[in-house]
Amino acid sequence: MASGVNGTFDGGDEAVVGQSTRIRGRISGEGDLRVEGAIEGGVALQGAVLVAEGGSIEADVEATSLVVEGTVDGDVTLSEALAIRASGRVSGVIRAAGVSIEEGASVSGRVEMDFDMPEELNG
Amino acid sequence: MANTVIAQGITIEGEITADEDVVVQGTLRGKLVAKDAVSIEPGAVVEADVDAGSLAVSGQVTGNVSAADRVDLLAGGRLIGDVRAARLTIADGASFKGNVDMDV
Repeated sequence: MASGVNGTFDGGDEAVVGQSTRIRGRISGEGDLRVEGAIEGGVALQGAVLVAEGGSIEADVEATSLVVEGTVDGDVTLSEALAIRASGRVSGVIRAAGVSIEEGASVSGRVEMDFDMPEELNG
Repeated sequence: MANTVIAQGITIEGEITADEDVVVQGTLRGKLVAKDAVSIEPGAVVEADVDAGSLAVSGQVTGNVSAADRVDLLAGGRLIGDVRAARLTIADGASFKGNVDMDV
């Protein structure tokens, strides 16, 4: 399911919000989502989300994984990884199992990665 | 691909505005405004008013629809609501309940 996020979209099963499309509302369900346009409202999906360059989400995002080449303005909660590409911009609280930020990307907010702390740091 | 696709398994509650083609295979509640062709495919559930360039329905639509060009209710399609379009076709095997205004 997550394969599409790496750039090989063939228009198969994933949902696409096209370049000149704007959604004001909430998107939920199961499946991958490619965002080339704009979403204001909320995204809660079991699947991989790609915000393509020029695309934007102004809302909290809950998903399996997220790749940001465009803009995300909101809190991000993922069960797997977040990748912010060089052109990407994220502002909000990021909670994910893994986070990668490419050089050139812009991030403002907090990153909370989910991993075990060493014994001596646990009170 | 300059299309918007609401894939099967996806639910959107809210308003969609698009200057391009829109294909709905999943669920939409709210409102859809599109300048170009809108296709409501088999299995799709739309509880929304739809305003489109042209509209083809082979899924299920509850709401008022209008199209600048035409509305085609295809076999298997189900439409409950009013239609406002200069041209309307209803295929054999489609279901429709509502008012028609072709005097646009």
